[in-house]
Amino acid sequence: MSASGYLGLLPLAILAGSAILVLFGLAFARQRYETAFALSMAGLVAALASLFFAWTGAPQRFTALLVLDHFAYLSMALSIGATIVVEFMSFAYFRARREENGEFYFLLQLACLGCAVLASSSSFASFFLGLELLSTPLFTLIGYRREREAGLRSAFMYLILAGVSSAFLLFGMALVYLETGSLDITTAARAASGSASFTVLAGLALMTVGIGFKLAVAPFHVWTPDIYDAAPAPATAFIATASKGAMAILLVRFFAPAGIAGAGPFAWIFAAIAGISMFTGNILALREGNLKRLLAYSSIAHLGYILVAFVASGNQGSAAVSFYLVAYFVSNLAAFAAVAGLSTNEAEADSIEHYRGLAKGHPWAAAALTASLLSLAGLPLTAGFMGKFVIFEAGAGAFLWVLVVILAVNSTISIFYYLRVVSALYRPASEAGTGSMSPRPAMPALAAIALAAMAIAIIVIGAMPGSLMAFIREVARDIASNAAAAL
Amino acid sequence: MNGLGSLALYLVVVVAIVGFIMVLTHLLGERHSQRGTAVPYESGIFPTGSARIRFPSDFYLVAMFFVVFDVAAVYLFAWAVAARELGWAGYAAILVFSLETIAGLAYLWKMGAFDWGARRKREHLERHGY
Repeated sequence: MSASGYLGLLPLAILAGSAILVLFGLAFARQRYETAFALSMAGLVAALASLFFAWTGAPQRFTALLVLDHFAYLSMALSIGATIVVEFMSFAYFRARREENGEFYFLLQLACLGCAVLASSSSFASFFLGLELLSTPLFTLIGYRREREAGLRSAFMYLILAGVSSAFLLFGMALVYLETGSLDITTAARAASGSASFTVLAGLALMTVGIGFKLAVAPFHVWTPDIYDAAPAPATAFIATASKGAMAILLVRFFAPAGIAGAGPFAWIFAAIAGISMFTGNILALREGNLKRLLAYSSIAHLGYILVAFVASGNQGSAAVSFYLVAYFVSNLAAFAAVAGLSTNEAEADSIEHYRGLAKGHPWAAAALTASLLSLAGLPLTAGFMGKFVIFEAGAGAFLWVLVVILAVNSTISIFYYLRVVSALYRPASEAGTGSMSPRPAMPALAAIALAAMAIAIIVIGAMPGSLMAFIREVARDIASNAAAAL
Repeated sequence: MNGLGSLALYLVVVVAIVGFIMVLTHLLGERHSQRGTAVPYESGIFPTGSARIRFPSDFYLVAMFFVVFDVAAVYLFAWAVAARELGWAGYAAILVFSLETIAGLAYLWKMGAFDWGARRKREHLERHGY
């Protein structure tokens, strides 16, 4: 392995090494909460910076486990960036009980490492390792506020469901291995294309269950609202973005090379999942009064949109998935930054009633939250609009007219419930004092910075998507050519 | 008769025999209703008190750590049997793994996770404040 080979591994090495540093900081430093935050942030920023150095060496394979191509680096940048934003919104959120909350950053960083491994895995072994490295910290992150009973209950629920879905995934991998005798993802994908045997198809179907659980697409979505609601807002933000994003990237990497997303039984399966997810998410969200649950339902629908681009497959499909992920990340992170910033140690800012009259006390926060919700709804001049646009383009290019029509119908449905929240922001606060908190606390500085940065990103991507789109198309071409070389 | 057919026959016979025994027991068995009949674990002694008592769970933590480090040892053995074939790359990998495990151990030690009993906990609390 040459020196540039190890340079390519640098982002993963920095993430892992700095996680150990955070652990030492927690054990030995006096100001353990602040130290953990600073060390973890330094590690994440260093890992993000190291991507620039690693970029030139790509694409390359590191042993049989990892493929370090531009696509992997792009998704690493997304996961690390999302984790940085999540840490910004966590700082004030967890500060009240700082003696015992420093470990949050350690666990978050491990989960981020899991995302990075997942996105760059080229073998079932690293796929599973990355997935477990991502899931295991999440159990703790979900139940992190252990004084809240609902959080603990949801953590156990996630533990059991993630265990079951991992079992499905492993069984599926074992069946594919039985037929192909290889743990390599491209080999498996090749075996699945064309006239695949029943064993391989059964294996892939079982794997789809495991992947579907992680993506929280219907009919594997049932856990989503409860866990979104009960987890602390920053942890929810991480589950909604980095965790699902890494899995979506892996799905593209797995299925794109062989083109089985575009043909054969799996095109039908994923098309069905996409359609059901869009309707389920949007219809369940219509009458939801809790913002975190509403975002959970909306994320089910958004993953459905992403699957439309995935089924479209090809270069355009991969690029559309990646671009939509960027838009989905910034919109969701902005929304959760607002929730985290407005929550206090006593009360989570989760009911929509709670946001009534926000525009009066916190005009900028209200404006940023509006931008995020409009972006999720996919209105023009926001990142979400451009994301939907490229998915329409990819879907139409692949002649998936039914899915495109369902997507259009669902976009219209979704506008209704996002606007319901937006209208609450600009209505006067109810005279009953909204129950939980009046006067509203000031927004913590770091959470406000995260919210502002994400809101600006939504507008910039929405208004000037050209260069980002060109960049992502370049990267997506890269994955296709790699796959062609591997086959 | 092929393999699956005999398995099916076997299943039918098993269900039939068990069902027959249960029906027969129901018809022929004696019925009695005394003070302890409906009590779980009917063995002569009436249960006293509740089973829901609080007891220290320190042992659970220690057992958990034991399992974690025990699994780490499994990896060491797996490396050791193939040490020569794996060469220096394998050595570097197992070194990183061991250092990470030791880092975890140091963290647990410093956090007082291995302190046993309430007295040690109190001392730790006084010294560190958490």
